[in-house]
Amino acid sequence: MKSTALDARRITPLARARRWLTPLAWLALLLLSAGMGQLEWLFRLIEPDVRAVVYRRSGFFALLGQHILVVGVASLLAVVLGVGAAIAVTRPAGRDFLPLVSQLASIGQTFPPVAVLALAVPVLGFGTLPIIVALLLYGLLPIVRNTLAGIGSIPAEVHEAARGMGMTAGQVLRQVELPLAAPVILAGIRTSVTINIATAALGATVGASNLGDPIITGIVNGNTAYIVQGAVLIGLLALAVDSGFERLLRRG
Amino acid sequence: MAEGRPPPNWVLLSLMLGAAAAWLTLDAVSVAANRIVPGTPHSALDVMNGWPALLLAVPMLAVAFLAWRPHDKGLRLSLAAVVALLTLLPLWLSAATSVLVTSDMPQARVAIGASLWLLLFLLLLALIELRTRLGLSRATAWLLLIPVVAGWWVALSLWLEPLALLREYQARSDQFIGALGTHLMLVGAAVAASLILAVLLVLAMRRHAGVRRVGFGVLNFLQTIPSLALFGLLLAPLAWLGARFDWLASIGVGGIGWAPAFLALLGYSLLPMVRNIHVALEEVDPAVIESAHGMGMSRRQVFLQVRLPLALPVVLEGLRITTVQAIGLTAVAALIGAGGLGTFIFQGLGQAAMDMVLLGALPIIALALLADALFGSLSECLRPGGAA
Repeated sequence: MKSTALDARRITPLARARRWLTPLAWLALLLLSAGMGQLEWLFRLIEPDVRAVVYRRSGFFALLGQHILVVGVASLLAVVLGVGAAIAVTRPAGRDFLPLVSQLASIGQTFPPVAVLALAVPVLGFGTLPIIVALLLYGLLPIVRNTLAGIGSIPAEVHEAARGMGMTAGQVLRQVELPLAAPVILAGIRTSVTINIATAALGATVGASNLGDPIITGIVNGNTAYIVQGAVLIGLLALAVDSGFERLLRRG
Repeated sequence: MAEGRPPPNWVLLSLMLGAAAAWLTLDAVSVAANRIVPGTPHSALDVMNGWPALLLAVPMLAVAFLAWRPHDKGLRLSLAAVVALLTLLPLWLSAATSVLVTSDMPQARVAIGASLWLLLFLLLLALIELRTRLGLSRATAWLLLIPVVAGWWVALSLWLEPLALLREYQARSDQFIGALGTHLMLVGAAVAASLILAVLLVLAMRRHAGVRRVGFGVLNFLQTIPSLALFGLLLAPLAWLGARFDWLASIGVGGIGWAPAFLALLGYSLLPMVRNIHVALEEVDPAVIESAHGMGMSRRQVFLQVRLPLALPVVLEGLRITTVQAIGLTAVAALIGAGGLGTFIFQGLGQAAMDMVLLGALPIIALALLADALFGSLSECLRPGGAA
């Protein structure tokens, strides 16, 4: 904690703001593009023959908000559950479960998200809930795997030194293990979130309304302009989030 | 531990107690008179006064008991019990079906309920745990699954005709075989094409740094486009090409169909493939290469006899990732009329016919797991120094 405070003092506010320039630029571009209505002339070039070239069934800001909400909720749950499970199985009491959990994490990765989504629908019904569950399950695995790897790669001497200094098990976890493993854990969360931003579009097939909606409508009606609109916004969202994570990682 | 006794295996203990609890409390099957009406749920205890269900709970509790003081012999016994349970479950299901489905219900459908799914899942977890504890090889694990598969096969072909999934399959078996074939063809073609292209690309990348930078940039960018969108975006250009050139239209290139699906799959498959092949060739220890040169090997010999064998496991890992990913993505391709097992998923979702959704989703998961296991075994065999 102390070292970051020192760093912050050494770097001028302007330079600090500049480091966030790339993610902020993507974010700005994303918000600008959500005002698709202004770009009608551009999409007219792609689809000159159809009447409606801009998706208007619901506003892009609303769809974007829904998309972020779904990915956000699923990712938050995945982080809590994934990091929690990985911490639990690396404690002495839960160590028995470690082989099973790491095997599960690698098996779960082979489950295609579409299939998980399809299996969630009979249980949870149509709407936003099945896509959250599918994203949660799919996003859990990179987080569990990276947290296990991050905690596992800490040398035993570090543990011993911390214990020797009189730290309790909780202190070792909070002040030694988690800070040391943080970059690897963060990388796992980054993978999980960026995959989920793209996968969430599938939710439109089970009645969840998000940025996948224009894409599905575009495919059904053969309107490429709709598809482009959905794809561009999802792509920009993924780029904004990904570059934000990159910043966080480089600082850590 | 103080008395020299092993501590309890909490994993097996909790898995088995959970399995027994789920088995005896939740709904095991539901019976519907036909495809349209909702089914009536039955718990395992409802069937034949619950005796068969209680009988099946005995081995679960026995394994839990053995896990309290685990020793090698006990673990082997537990393994036998779990395999026996997995083999007996289809027989129980057959018995339940014969009791619950009376002769006045010719269209009856029996659906598998929560308790049975959960039991299957927990038993498979127990199998994984036992395999790890006993240090069994992959081959032994495969052998263990033979009686299980045989049990299900016999039950499905003889007694489980009213099973909803089976009825759904029988109603469209031709369609299913066709879809499976299309699915496998698309995956196979995309993976094979991406392997060839990736090798060429990596060879070019190793010569020119510029190609490497641009190549990885483009491939990384492709991955951020959602699969759904990439499929969609290829529709219009291919429709235009199909309309423009007759010979393209004659081989099926058009707005919808296999062409956009194949191209999108190829695009997605390239990144993991290129990355793994690149890493595989780059990460061979320079000292090894140098000593090979020192032994008087030519460049060609070094590549073929040193680099390639050392790189092969990593390349296979790339093939594994790509194949598993392509199996899932092909399901999405059904939305643009490419066929494949995804057709059943999306048709089923559209008609709210969940049996049909399962008919698409379960084989896709099975295919993905199978591909994963197959490539896993293969790279284990090819690892330098032989099988681990």
